[in-house]
Amino acid sequence: MFDSHFAYIVNNPISSIAVFVTVLPLTLTITRKAFLDKSLRLLFCYLVSKLIIDIIMLHLASTRTNNLILYNLSIPLFYALLSGMFYFQFTGKAQKGFVLTSIVGVFVFSIWDIFNSNENLGDLNEHRLVLYAKTVEGVLMISLILLYFYEIIKSLQIPNLLTFPFFWVCSGLLLYYSSLIFLAPFLHYTYTWNNQTDLGITEVIPSIFEILCAVLFSVGIYNFSPRKYAK
Amino acid sequence: MQNSEELKWALLIASLAMLAMAFCMIAFVMYYQKKRFEEEKRINDIEKNYNRLLLDTALNSEETERRRIAQDLHDDIGTMLSLTKLSLNQLSKLVANSGDEKEESIMKKSQSLVEETILHVRRITRDLVPTTLERFGLMEAIEEFIHKLEEDNNLVIAFQSNTEEFPRQGQKLELTLYRIMQELVNNAIKHASCTKIDIVLEIDEEMIGLRVTDNGVGFDPEKIKESNLAGLGLLGIESRLAIVNGTVQYEQPARGGSSAIARIPVNPASGNKPEPLHPFRRERVNI
Repeated sequence: MFDSHFAYIVNNPISSIAVFVTVLPLTLTITRKAFLDKSLRLLFCYLVSKLIIDIIMLHLASTRTNNLILYNLSIPLFYALLSGMFYFQFTGKAQKGFVLTSIVGVFVFSIWDIFNSNENLGDLNEHRLVLYAKTVEGVLMISLILLYFYEIIKSLQIPNLLTFPFFWVCSGLLLYYSSLIFLAPFLHYTYTWNNQTDLGITEVIPSIFEILCAVLFSVGIYNFSPRKYAK
Repeated sequence: MQNSEELKWALLIASLAMLAMAFCMIAFVMYYQKKRFEEEKRINDIEKNYNRLLLDTALNSEETERRRIAQDLHDDIGTMLSLTKLSLNQLSKLVANSGDEKEESIMKKSQSLVEETILHVRRITRDLVPTTLERFGLMEAIEEFIHKLEEDNNLVIAFQSNTEEFPRQGQKLELTLYRIMQELVNNAIKHASCTKIDIVLEIDEEMIGLRVTDNGVGFDPEKIKESNLAGLGLLGIESRLAIVNGTVQYEQPARGGSSAIARIPVNPASGNKPEPLHPFRRERVNI
């Protein structure tokens, strides 16, 4: 029954690990009660939705069905959840306003990009990845992370960054989006049903950093203490 | 095909460069944050030391000024009063010979006033500079202070210590403990409407503890500190303790009243005994 799935996992080990490694931070979130924190609660929602979408995509990929519509639709959802974490971390009204505006902006832009990149939306078999939305998402996420790092340095409220959960979350996201930002526009041309272009090792880099990102999330969540949060 | 290969390499290099930048950014944030905290801590330490030095200097100046005033009272006013007393004694003999009762009565009144003034000057001098503390130590000074208070006020003051021979401590430490005891007892008399005060002095290998407990109305130290002027006494206690690395804790016993416990690390005397009040000495006293 799962032969095709196993075959897919064996043929694509790195991208498959990137799917299942999400279980690690998810489990830690539950055991460490990290969802008590508003930002980490959104991260938990992100991890749950990512795991579900990734498993469906893996299932579709292993059954030779085009799954890119899910990838495209996940862009505004993931951006809303991830940037929402920063909404709770920022203290300034301007930053909070920027986060909310960007969520709406990315949603509208992603929908437009899905239409722009696919002339015939009804034909799911020939569905293609968005051309700009993923890059825009990456640029905005990196901007939010850098803005947050600037806030950390300026406020000097966190004595030890290594034990601060959200710093690890930010580091993971920064690495993941940095690995993806140049590659994202090219995926529109390479991820087609009749793909002729193979990007080689470059194509695997985002998956490697997706795994690293999940590991860094796990480190951050592991550092979360409900007792400290209550204080 | 050639272009495809070049594109792959370009993408790989760009992605790796971006990742390198991301790694550098994370490392920089960690390093810079650590550096800034160290810098902030260093500045805080400098500020703390500076404030401590300032406080120390202020208290030294206060004690020097007290000593100077006491010295002036003792040397100038005291000497003049003694001479006045001698002159009055001589005059008294002359008046007694004249046989005028009215003059004799005025003479006796003048003599008694001068004697009373001499006693007042002596008391003020002793209050300004606790000479008993300097000569005999903390226990004797506290006992003397209690004795004087019990004479003047209608209250019971009990004093006990966990040692019969309280080892001499550094001059600054003894003076700090004495002044704190004075402040706490005076506060209890002035504000607590108490009838009984217990003073306990304890010493072990590391710490000296001074506990002053009264059976008065009690108080909330935090509220008193918030109201600017009322808290000056308590702030003064904390300032004095900060200089000798001491701490103070206020408690409200269940049976009522209030209790203050000051703890100071032991600092045995170095052997340099202070000079007693001397008519021709005017040098600055470093406590």
